[in-house]
Amino acid sequence: MGRIAAVYDWLDERAAIRSLVRKGLYEAVPVRGAWFYTLGSATLVLILLQLVTGIFLTLVYVPSVTEGWASLNYLKQHDAFGSIVRGIHLWSAYILLFVIGLHMVRTFFSGSYKRPRELNWVTGVGLFILVLVMAITGAFLPWDQAAYWTAVVVTNVPSYTPFIGSFIRALWRGGDFVGPITLTRTFGIHVWLVPAILFPLILAHLALLRKHGEFGSYINYRGAYRRREGVDVPPAPAQRPIEPPYPAVPTDELWAAPLETEDFFPFQTFKDGLVSVVLVIVVFLLAVAIGAPLEPIADPSTTSYTPVPEWFFLPLDELLLLVPQQLIPLVLVLPAGGVLLLLALPFIDRGPERNPFERPAVMVPGAFAVLFVVILTLLGSGRLFNL
Amino acid sequence: MNALAVIGPALHRLAGELPSTAPQGRNIVAAQIAIGSLFSLHILIAGLVSGAAELGPAIEFLGYMRQRRNYDRLAHGLGRFITLYFSVSSTIAILLVTVLLVGYWGHFWTTIVTIGWWPLFIEAWTFVLQVTLAYIWYYTWDPLRGFKGVHMAIGGLLAIASFLQVYMIDVIASYMLTPTNPQNPIRLVLNPTSYPLTVHRTVGNLAYVGFVIGAFCAIRFLRAKKPEDKVFYDWAGSFGVLWGISLTLLQPVVGYSYAKEIQLHAYGSWYKMMYGTLSPLFLWQITLLGIMFLTATLYFARRLRTNGARGAGLLKAMAVGLVLTILLAAQPYHLGLTYDAVAGAGLNRPFWEGGLINPLGSMIPWKVLALMFYTLIAIAAVVWYLRGLPGVVWGAARRGEQRLLMLLAVLTIFMMVTMGFIRENSRAPFLITGEMTIQGQQNIEPTPTPQSGP
Repeated sequence: MGRIAAVYDWLDERAAIRSLVRKGLYEAVPVRGAWFYTLGSATLVLILLQLVTGIFLTLVYVPSVTEGWASLNYLKQHDAFGSIVRGIHLWSAYILLFVIGLHMVRTFFSGSYKRPRELNWVTGVGLFILVLVMAITGAFLPWDQAAYWTAVVVTNVPSYTPFIGSFIRALWRGGDFVGPITLTRTFGIHVWLVPAILFPLILAHLALLRKHGEFGSYINYRGAYRRREGVDVPPAPAQRPIEPPYPAVPTDELWAAPLETEDFFPFQTFKDGLVSVVLVIVVFLLAVAIGAPLEPIADPSTTSYTPVPEWFFLPLDELLLLVPQQLIPLVLVLPAGGVLLLLALPFIDRGPERNPFERPAVMVPGAFAVLFVVILTLLGSGRLFNL
Repeated sequence: MNALAVIGPALHRLAGELPSTAPQGRNIVAAQIAIGSLFSLHILIAGLVSGAAELGPAIEFLGYMRQRRNYDRLAHGLGRFITLYFSVSSTIAILLVTVLLVGYWGHFWTTIVTIGWWPLFIEAWTFVLQVTLAYIWYYTWDPLRGFKGVHMAIGGLLAIASFLQVYMIDVIASYMLTPTNPQNPIRLVLNPTSYPLTVHRTVGNLAYVGFVIGAFCAIRFLRAKKPEDKVFYDWAGSFGVLWGISLTLLQPVVGYSYAKEIQLHAYGSWYKMMYGTLSPLFLWQITLLGIMFLTATLYFARRLRTNGARGAGLLKAMAVGLVLTILLAAQPYHLGLTYDAVAGAGLNRPFWEGGLINPLGSMIPWKVLALMFYTLIAIAAVVWYLRGLPGVVWGAARRGEQRLLMLLAVLTIFMMVTMGFIRENSRAPFLITGEMTIQGQQNIEPTPTPQSGP
């Protein structure tokens, strides 16, 4: 123990790790509803799992139309460990999309994006979009039938952009048609371009979270008690002990500091750790039990293959089916408009109110948007199982 | 005079006149009218019961979360409604099945029960579950007041049972329009329109119950004597219409998707709805949807104006926008009464060149655009109304607003009957598309009467 303490002291003298650990582990977080706050850390763990398994896969995968499918087929046929790693990569991506979506919905409904946490929301939206891009570009890489036809549909979507649509499509495809250059470029986007933006953005997101503290939910604050029948408003934060990083200023004093806090370690870390471990176990079990499918190699000349979109692509796929040809730019305009609105949200909804029931002007359109996506997904998935 | 001397021969004469078996579809028009009208009535009540059983627990949960007594009172009222009207809806359903379907369309009923045995079996048990849970939910309201979590859990189970019950019937109804090879229950459940019909009906039932809450509360508001009752019914009417219109806003997307599946899997029915004999009704349906949005927007505007709350002026402007959109949506494409007349006038020639075509009446892009504008304007109206609500004093509403609430419920009932009529008649002459016709019900001969011995 003495030697370990000596090494720790040596490191602390040079890298100030004691204060870093203290800063990292002993900050206050709201108590009530803490299980909901585990979604952020679960997202981070799943992204790291993506990174680790992705690195392993690049050791085997060859980004070419002639070798790409063969390299993954080799894993499937001859390398049980590699096959599981690919399964983990796929299933953690699926669960990541679900968890990050839930994290965003929770943040939206709790009003956590409000002053002074606007930039945290903006970086979060950026992360959500980048994870989606990772998922979509990753779906091209196996270069099996599903990947090829996904590439055909997805690379065509940007062509609905006014004026420069054809240029963007040609840029991505590397020509008029999906082919070898499309795969090479998409591989570059998937393993270099997007991660190069994603990881700095994660750091920025975490730094901002640490600066302002976890907002939690309206139930943690005095503001929640204002309109309750027969319930007194608790004392002002000034009369209660406030621990860093609260109060998050400048903000409305009703929403500046939670009424009850606890240390991040061990209380919140236990919950975060438990949720993350459960998710990783679920991912592993799915990877072993189901694995990652690999269809026959891409064959652009086939007429018998019926493409089935990835589940996260279902809302867009349903839109593509429903929107008439004359109004097809809507397929691009609606999601793009949705992203712009998400980015602008903290600057549109600037009132201090956090209670979702008292913010109808934002909650109603938000709930419609969520319902719209859910219903499109349901309708799209219904068609997948038609017999 | 001996009464038996009169009654006896009369009974013998009547026995000689009456048919020996059930009608078995011999009078096609009478059967269609009887079954169609009773089914409409059944759906109008059953939709309300199912919607209330799904919405009631949700309102109770909302009230618990928001600590508002009004919500609890409204949810309790819905519970009371379910216990009162469940049996009415069930009686009609039993009458439909045991008398009309077996009597008029026995061949069809035997076939559909054979094919859809599993969904109907599950439906029967969810029916038992639903009625059991509905009574427990309502009658344990006060005894379980100290255990609200348990009570809300019972409500949650009731909502699930109600959804499953509707879903199973939707499987049968959708199968009749887009039949699959019925080798097993999964194939039956996954027929192409089962999914969109279920989403469409679930959302529709929830919206419908909202509008009926609005109308019911409007009537009670006008009759209320106590100020606290006026406050409650004013608030509950507003809540109902907000709920109803918010869910109706989803219907253009869901309905469009449903129509798309019909186009892909039952083209004949789709053609009849969009271009054939049912297209005027479809046009009326799109127009009616706009009128519903308009009525709700007018209610929002008037309710805010009554208390001088902010937003009434903008809501009136939105109502004008909706009127213009309705005028666009209501345009017919063919200006002739028959397709032959349109073809005779040059088919695709617009009316200003002597033809009978009105390009503004085309589905794509104009009606699709109109549907989008309906939705966007109505979403904006809901948001603006909600923004103005803090300025509203409950209990101060005027008669005009209450009339609009009643009108909305009437329009919703029109909409439901119209939709049901279109869907059922789009299959005609089939009862099961491509498999069994209404006329085919006549071919069933009654079992021969046993002859007396030699």
